[in-house]
Amino acid sequence: MADSSATPALPFLVRHEFLIRRLHSLSGLIPVGAFMCVHLLVNSSVLNSPETFQNNVYGIHALGKLLPIVEWVFIFIPLLFHMAVGIMIAAGGMPNTQAYPYGANIRYTLQRATGIIAAVFIMYHVFHMHGWFHFDGWLSMAESVGGHKFRPYNASSTAGAALQNPVILVLYAIGIIASVFHLANGLWTMGITWGVWTRPAAQKNALVVCSAFGVLLGIVGLSALAGMYNVGKGEAYQAAIEAENRMYEARVEAGSVQPNEHKRIEERGTRSEE
Amino acid sequence: MIAPSKDHVSTYAEAPKPEAFDVRILRQDAPGESPKWERFRIPYEPNLNIISVLMKIAAMGKNAQGKPAPPVAWDSNCLEEVCGSCTMVINGRVRQACSALVDRLLEDRPTEIELRPMSKFPVLRDLVVDRGRMFRALERVKAWVPVDDYLDRGPGPREAQAKQETRYPLSECMTCGCCVEACPQYTKVELTREPGETDSQFEARRKQAFDTAFLGPAAISQAILFNDHATGQMQADERMEALTGPGGIQVCGNAQNCVAVCPKSIPLTTSIARAGRQATVYAIKKIFDR
Repeated sequence: MADSSATPALPFLVRHEFLIRRLHSLSGLIPVGAFMCVHLLVNSSVLNSPETFQNNVYGIHALGKLLPIVEWVFIFIPLLFHMAVGIMIAAGGMPNTQAYPYGANIRYTLQRATGIIAAVFIMYHVFHMHGWFHFDGWLSMAESVGGHKFRPYNASSTAGAALQNPVILVLYAIGIIASVFHLANGLWTMGITWGVWTRPAAQKNALVVCSAFGVLLGIVGLSALAGMYNVGKGEAYQAAIEAENRMYEARVEAGSVQPNEHKRIEERGTRSEE
Repeated sequence: MIAPSKDHVSTYAEAPKPEAFDVRILRQDAPGESPKWERFRIPYEPNLNIISVLMKIAAMGKNAQGKPAPPVAWDSNCLEEVCGSCTMVINGRVRQACSALVDRLLEDRPTEIELRPMSKFPVLRDLVVDRGRMFRALERVKAWVPVDDYLDRGPGPREAQAKQETRYPLSECMTCGCCVEACPQYTKVELTREPGETDSQFEARRKQAFDTAFLGPAAISQAILFNDHATGQMQADERMEALTGPGGIQVCGNAQNCVAVCPKSIPLTTSIARAGRQATVYAIKKIFDR
């Protein structure tokens, strides 16, 4: 305020509330939302074949030593920022759908609920598959409590095997639906926040487009989950491991991949999952 | 209010009407005291509104149990839904008491009407609240056209008819508080006076608390109204400074209850989105025009 020279300085979060909220809005789309779209699309490539998915994973891991930097700078840090600010936003609101059960108000409450579900799910999901941090001591601890299940050079088989527990499978389905809803609805509110769609008719049209986007992305996400699950059991699992090992050896021989046993399934014969 | 049409009168007559109905009121003696419910029994009459019900309660002087009850305090002024002072929560929904017709309310809930003061403002007594924060919000966004001057500055800029027509609905705002009552992002700010604090010290502390709290849809819409005005536009940047400051436009969570409950059907969400657009441009301008 212009006339606040006598009043004490406001706390950082209050002073920069506008910037923080706009960065929160932006980070939800770029990079977090955009990453999720790519992530679900890449994962759904397992529906074509485990080899297709494996090739995509090799594409991502072609970044080599840069991958952790890219992960942290473009995915984890923006995601953690979005989560932290989001939790503060959710804590600051007082949902009142009971008294005012209107569509946009219900979506307001759902946006906060799905945000929290997605945050919990993503923290678990990254631990479960990735392990959060890639230090040896940490990883062996993570593995002992059911984390770090994914091996990029045995991509489909390890991801599929990690989803065989029905509780985990249901958790993933809930997490995907919550995350997709949060992105699709977040896209709609973002359009209002930044002033892209201002009039009720435009907002209605945008809602139709965002809903269609959400339904499509939800189908992609759940199909990817089903595809991974199916590769993780029975003959498909054995076939996937064989294909992955064949691809690994060919790539190592061609010199396009550095040998790296950390990114492969442990040599304990066939792993007896669960 | 518009007098009920003949059609309405006949439908009222057809529906069976009770001999009497109950009114449950959330009462509070003074600021900071704990509220308690009190029930009153009102003999039915056609065409009552909530104001006339409250006047009947004051005349009766007793509650449904027959015990003496001091009259319920409420605010009202125009009695035609243009001043906003009788705003309260009626059957769980915020609206003006003067335009809340008992016959309609009994259609929804045949035996009882529930009255509560607005929950987002400090209660002064019973149904009377202090809406000071809303008026402070109008000051924060400079919701006026500053034309007070000793100099003759000649005629102002020309106003296009189309622009006047978009502004008119926004000018109907009566600062009643419905939008902020229904807004899940607008949370109550209630300060209690500390011992030994003077009026002006308390007022300064109150203003300071208001100035970082959410402006609310009404004030945002007023800022847009005056940013749209060819003369008011000259202070647009000052308004944008308030709109992008603490408690500004960014607090909006797009629940859109404001537009749904606005008794004047003001396109509040359009104003909010337009404020968002102006804030986007203003913020970018501020970064690159330094």
